Amino acid sequence: MPVPNSLRCLVRPSTGLPVSIPRTAASLGVPSAGLLGTPLLAAASFSTTSSRSEGASGIAKNHHRGGKKTFTVKKKAFVLERGKSPLPGERKAYRKRIILSNDNALAVPWLTDLGPAELSNENNVARVMGIPEEVQDQLRASEAFKTTQCWRMFRKPAVLVRKETVDLTRRMDRAAQNNEMLRLVVTGDKVAGKSLMLLQAMTHAFLNDWVVIHIPEAQELTTACTEYAPIPNTDPLQYMQPVYALKLIQAIKKANEKVLSKTFTRNAHPHLPQNIPANTPLLTLANVAKESEAAWPVFQSLWAELTAQGVARPPILLSIDGLAHMMKISDYRTPAFDLIHSHDLALVRLFANAFGGGLKLPAGGAVIGATSRSNAPRCPSLELAVSRREVEQRIEASSKAAGSGSGAETTATATEEVPQRDPYFRGYDDRVEAVLRSVEVLRVGAIDKNEARAVMEYWAASGMFRSVVDTKTVTEKWTLGGNGVLGEMERASLLSMRM
Amino acid sequence: MASCSRHAVTSALRGTTKALTSRRQQSLEQQFQSLRLGARRLSTEPSSSAITAAPELDVDDLEKFRLAKHARPVPVSPSYFSRTPRFNDRYLAIERLSRSCSHLPVIPAADVVHVGWKSLPDLRRAFGEPVKATDYAKCLKLIKRLQLIHPNAQPKELGQALEEFKRDIQALRNVANPIPIDKFGRALGVGKRKSSSARAFVLEGQGEVLINGKTLAEYFGRVHDRESAVWALHATERLDKYNVWARVDGGGTTGQAEALTLAIAKGLIAHEPTLKSALRKAGCITRDRRTVERKKAGFQKARKGQTWVKR
Repeated sequence: MPVPNSLRCLVRPSTGLPVSIPRTAASLGVPSAGLLGTPLLAAASFSTTSSRSEGASGIAKNHHRGGKKTFTVKKKAFVLERGKSPLPGERKAYRKRIILSNDNALAVPWLTDLGPAELSNENNVARVMGIPEEVQDQLRASEAFKTTQCWRMFRKPAVLVRKETVDLTRRMDRAAQNNEMLRLVVTGDKVAGKSLMLLQAMTHAFLNDWVVIHIPEAQELTTACTEYAPIPNTDPLQYMQPVYALKLIQAIKKANEKVLSKTFTRNAHPHLPQNIPANTPLLTLANVAKESEAAWPVFQSLWAELTAQGVARPPILLSIDGLAHMMKISDYRTPAFDLIHSHDLALVRLFANAFGGGLKLPAGGAVIGATSRSNAPRCPSLELAVSRREVEQRIEASSKAAGSGSGAETTATATEEVPQRDPYFRGYDDRVEAVLRSVEVLRVGAIDKNEARAVMEYWAASGMFRSVVDTKTVTEKWTLGGNGVLGEMERASLLSMRM
Repeated sequence: MASCSRHAVTSALRGTTKALTSRRQQSLEQQFQSLRLGARRLSTEPSSSAITAAPELDVDDLEKFRLAKHARPVPVSPSYFSRTPRFNDRYLAIERLSRSCSHLPVIPAADVVHVGWKSLPDLRRAFGEPVKATDYAKCLKLIKRLQLIHPNAQPKELGQALEEFKRDIQALRNVANPIPIDKFGRALGVGKRKSSSARAFVLEGQGEVLINGKTLAEYFGRVHDRESAVWALHATERLDKYNVWARVDGGGTTGQAEALTLAIAKGLIAHEPTLKSALRKAGCITRDRRTVERKKAGFQKARKGQTWVKR
């Protein structure tokens, strides 16, 4: 009830000291005498006796003589005006927003958009190419863009086609042709372009009408920040994450709208909240998930339909960023308060199964995981598996080259030893090693000078890099960027104060 | 006795050294005799010829060699009675030389080999004499004039006369040993800054840099540090022409980066000596001498005092 408080505001504090508003009157909202215009102190009757005069009483009590008061101007307390503080959630939204275009940047006239076969064309290596608008939307829907990437500097998103890109997309194409599963781990140095490699794989998949299921951050699944519930009748007990599943279905639906509307269900799904008969577009099936309660059954049905054998199905790309988070014991607990292994979470299990080779897709596809160097828990088994597979791949390549009869340099790699477990270390995880036993590893390394020149020419054409792009500047930035680490080159030339 | 010695001194000063006292002659004679006697005792044979003593010197007879009746000893150096005899002697010698050499041909001052002359305090310390500043200045002026004489025409004694005025260490003649380029084409430069020291092998290449086995970006998180590490190559536009393999230790990131600047610059000079002036302009030659100031007793750091507390 604001009335008594507001009335009290009207009381002058200096006069209000000796005479206070009676509590009862104030609480009842009755205006006191002071409020009616008569000064409160006027209530005291005039008297000549010292005891009753106002000043005398004060002096006598305090034992000091009231001298002549000097007039001093008090400084007002400095109040810093901070303006309007942002609303709850606004800061985070600002931090997390993805900006994909910059109107102040120059449009690059020679920039061509990517077509379905461009990323796997060898002639496009060391060329910067634009991402078509519809693919931009699809990538945005599946959260492929990240805030740490420099999209906001340029007129439109464009990517550099690298040797690794062509290698990766060719492997994807080969897998789709043979109805096989490409199981690949993308690894590399810090800011070398691992997530960008994932984005390029997704772009290639979208352009070639694949279905893309992308998990932008594996940590969202395993750090116990989304709801989970046990799935009944599973052995060993698995857990679903309905809220995340709903989000994922919506992302899938938005990103793969075109493909899903052309793909039809094989079976009826009567147990879903909305009855889905056979021969319904998968888009309709995905649309059933409106609330998190129904999300997990819908996801299961969708996944069952996508992997149904014997009907026309598109290839599927499963991609996950931050692989190390998926390869550890999660922060979730069982009812007995034991920690749950990440691979017991149903969504993660799907990916783990795919990496392990237990997933057969009707039209083939790929599962690609990218490691992270900035936000990754230490995962010795992952590190070991990746290094082991890399060495094994080199040995295989050298034995192949030796078979075809080429030089002596291959013999050096053939003698290389496959890394083994440290016998005195306990932190290895058998389940992780079993999953990663036979994956392929793609190391995203440094770019060479041709690629550096291409990307710098694009920066210069966009007006973001303001010096002549010649051998000297290219080498300078290439060296400053740690012998061609693309992200470091970006830091050294675009993100420094000197423009 | 006293008169005899004075006589001897005087005669010595005038060059009549032949006048020796008879007494000394006798004593030598006696010694010789005793030696002969000893020898004779050893051999029992009697000697065929006896040694006969020279006739006694007649002191009065020597009088005819005397030049003056009364003489007082005169010091050899004219500056014997001055406060700074050593300096004066040399000053006079130089004056004499400058008088005698004034007609000799000279070369332009720019062509004269630069010599570091002793400073006045050094000279005072070297001679142990309170040399006057004005005298020294005058002397130095003469010395510098003498220096201009054509090297082929310079008299021998000039070099000796000037020697004592030269500094002990001729800093300008101290030339650093050139850095060799080894059989692999590497030049090793060493640089220091604060408490970091860097060794950089600079060799011809394409601009690859490895520091302690890591790339520039891996080793230095700050872009500024990366730039200062390769600043020598950048400033001379040689970044795309050389590779660098370096070892750095000690200190922090900034110190290590700037130690590398110096090290790479030195390695680069070994390949291209003409770049030295360009590198000096870029600030890659001079070692920054600033280091952490030492802590002092009674202070918390070098200069930070204790907080003042009332009682």
